[in-house]
Amino acid sequence: MAYLTNLYDSSRCTACRGCQVACKNWNQLPAVIEPFRGNYQTHEDTNADTFTIVKMIETEDPVDGVIWNFLKYQCMHCFDPACLKVCPRDAYTKTSWGATVHDPDKCIGCQYCTYACPFEIPKYRKREDITTKCTLCADRVEEGLQPACAATCAPGALMFGNRNELLQYAEDRVKHLRANGFPRATIYGKMELGGLNKLYVLTDTPDKFGLPVDPKVPGQIPFWKDWVQPYIGWLIPLALAGSATSFVTTRILANKHGKHDEGGHE
Amino acid sequence: MQLLPEYKQDVPRVERFNMVARLTHWGHTVTFLLCLFTGLVLFLDGVDWLAAIFGGYSGAGLVHRISAVIMTLVIVFFVVFDFKGIINWIKDILRFGLNDIKFLLVFPLEFLGFPVKVPPQTRFNGGEKGNSIVTSTCVILLVLSGYIMWFPAIFPAGWVRVAYPVHDIAMVFATVMVCMHAYLGSFHPGSGESFWGMWKGTVRSDWAEHHHATWYEETYGEKAQTDEAE
Repeated sequence: MAYLTNLYDSSRCTACRGCQVACKNWNQLPAVIEPFRGNYQTHEDTNADTFTIVKMIETEDPVDGVIWNFLKYQCMHCFDPACLKVCPRDAYTKTSWGATVHDPDKCIGCQYCTYACPFEIPKYRKREDITTKCTLCADRVEEGLQPACAATCAPGALMFGNRNELLQYAEDRVKHLRANGFPRATIYGKMELGGLNKLYVLTDTPDKFGLPVDPKVPGQIPFWKDWVQPYIGWLIPLALAGSATSFVTTRILANKHGKHDEGGHE
Repeated sequence: MQLLPEYKQDVPRVERFNMVARLTHWGHTVTFLLCLFTGLVLFLDGVDWLAAIFGGYSGAGLVHRISAVIMTLVIVFFVVFDFKGIINWIKDILRFGLNDIKFLLVFPLEFLGFPVKVPPQTRFNGGEKGNSIVTSTCVILLVLSGYIMWFPAIFPAGWVRVAYPVHDIAMVFATVMVCMHAYLGSFHPGSGESFWGMWKGTVRSDWAEHHHATWYEETYGEKAQTDEAE
C-alpha cells in the first residue's frame, strides 16, 4: 500500500493554530495552559495532552530584518521508528500506510521511547502512567477521512495524501519558492532518518525552524538494543550451565578420588 | 546425596560474618532476586507468564521498584551500622596478590572437582575478591542507573540513554556472579563451611585454618591472641 503522508508547507502557514485546536478536539485532549514566555507560541514543546504545536521562531537577519518562521511540530512517523524498536511491551506498531501508532493499553510508562526518539516526541502522561503522541489520526484515516489537522487547515498548508504525489508537489513548490525570494527553501522528511512519513516544505534551512539538520537516533540506543540485549544476556544461561556441569562432575570425581577433604573453597 | 555439609556445634568455631553483614547479604539476596525476575519481564520479550506471577506488568513494575528501594536501604543500613566492616572488606580486596592469582589459575579444576593444592588465602580468596568487586560494582551501577530510569525528567537526557544499556549490562554481570556465587556458596562440595559462615555467622576453626590460612593466622592465630592479651 502506498504511504499516506501529511505534508506541511511552511510558506502557506499563517500560524492560526486551527490544527492544534482540531487535534485537541478529535483526540479529546484537555487544555494545557503554559505561562507566557514573550512570544506567540502556545507551548514550549508538545506534551502528553498536546500532540501538535505550531512553533513560532523569530530570528533577526541583518539583511532581511526580523523573520518569523512557523512550524507545525508533532510526531514524524519515521519509517524506522526508534520508539517501536525500544518499546519492551511492543506497544508501537506501524500501519501499512506508514503511521506509527501507540497502544495505550499495552504501555507501562517506562518512557524508553521518549529518550530513544531523535525528536523526544512521546511524552509521559502522569495521570495514566503512559506515554502519548500523535497518531496521524489513524482512526480517521482508516475510515477514509483526513487527519483532523489537515482537514481543518484553512490556508491549505497541510495536505494529506499519497506520499509520492506529495513529494512531487513539494519538489515543485521548493523550486517555485527558490525562484521567488526563498533561495534556501528545502524539503524535510524525504531522506532524514531513512525517510519520514511526514513531509515539510520549508522556506529556509531546517535549523531556522528548530529542526535537527541531520537527525540521528542516539548511539546508546542501537548499542543497547542491537548488542547488549540480544547477546550479553546469554552469559546467564552459560553460568547456570557451568554450575550444573560442576554439580555433576564434582560428584563423579568425588567417587573416583574419594571424599573431598572436608570442604574446599567457595 | 548430601547437598550441604552438616552444621557441627560441638567443634571449635570462629566468627566469619557478623550480624550486620549477614542481614545485608540476605537482604540483598531477596531484593536482588525479586528485582531480577521482575526486571527479566522487560529484558526478555514475551514472557507474559513471568509478569503474571507478579500480577501483570504494572505489578511487576511495582515489586521491582519496592525491592529496589529496600535494596538501597540495605546498603545504607550496612554503611551506617558496619562502616568498619566495609572498610575491612575493601582492605582485604585490595590485598589481591600472587596467592590470589595462583588461586584463580587452579580454580577451574577445583570448580569441576579435581583435587588441587591452593596457596594460603586471606579472608576472601581470589575468587571471592573477584565476586566482591564485580557484584558490588554492578549493584551500585544498577541502583544509580535504576533511579535515573525511574525519574528521567530530573536527569539530563544523555544520562537516561546511557542508563539503559548500563542497567542491562550490570544486571547480566551481577546475575552471572550471583549464579556462580549461589552455587559455590552452597552445593559445590568444595565450599564446605562457607554457607554456615553466612547463615549462622561462624565456621569451623579447622576449616578456616585450612581454607583461609592467612586470615585465620592474623585473626585467631597465636600471634593475634597474644596481641589481644597485651
